[in-house]
Amino acid sequence: MRMPPRRRRPILVPTASMGDIAFLLTIFFILTSNFARESGLRLTPPRAPEVSPVKEPHLSVVIDENGQIYLQGGRVANSDALESALTVLLRTRPTPDARQVMLKCDRSVDRSVFEPVLGAIARAGGVIVAVGDRPRAE
Amino acid sequence: MTFARHERKEPHVPTDSLSDVAFLLIIFFILTTSIRQLTGFVTELPAAEKATAQQTEKTPTVQLRDAELRFNDQVVDTATLRARLFSLNLAGRREEERIVVVETSGKVDYQRYFETLAAISGAGGIVGLLTEEEGSSR
Repeated sequence: MRMPPRRRRPILVPTASMGDIAFLLTIFFILTSNFARESGLRLTPPRAPEVSPVKEPHLSVVIDENGQIYLQGGRVANSDALESALTVLLRTRPTPDARQVMLKCDRSVDRSVFEPVLGAIARAGGVIVAVGDRPRAE
Repeated sequence: MTFARHERKEPHVPTDSLSDVAFLLIIFFILTTSIRQLTGFVTELPAAEKATAQQTEKTPTVQLRDAELRFNDQVVDTATLRARLFSLNLAGRREEERIVVVETSGKVDYQRYFETLAAISGAGGIVGLLTEEEGSSR
């Protein structure tokens, strides 16, 4: 009895859903990424052993190595202007958690620059989250 | 005269390279994303009037003057300051007894200031600021 020859079907890998999977992964990365507001600003953070992981607040104040003050990535003229802007931003935030303000300052900045900024944040009603690194293990 | 029928070809959008585009986007996000964990500490500076009212003779005072660090008028180093602050058991006290006044004068950089504030916050204290020029407390 003669058997009819079987046609070997070509092996196909269905790739129709590859685009869907790839875009889902892309959306995942977009949603989980925090775009740094202070990218491009040059500063060396201070170090202390007492630091611990903190949640990044919505508001950020940065003082770079040149002593320039930035609020939410935008340049601010001085601590008085910073206080005015922060007062407006914090006005509608009732809880201490919502009033947290991240302070990033270069380690070499003199007190004549950062002390007025600390005072401005405190007078505006902000809770300061001072950001720094742990000392390097020797 | 009979015209040949033109079969209308359905419009077709080629999607073969869609997954390639999507994966390239994913690779871009992976390479440009920096995964970081913020470290620091939270400190709420009391209002000026509150700090002044709560300050007593027994309020611990940390003085930063140029390269010198003093705790209650005694010259100390950072490690000794931490030990002295922990020995006060500030975390177990009432709020008004947890205030540690920080006085600054001369040239003080943010690194030393940050270390001091971190030591106070790590010991459970509340920072009260006293500046030289203004003579006012925060």
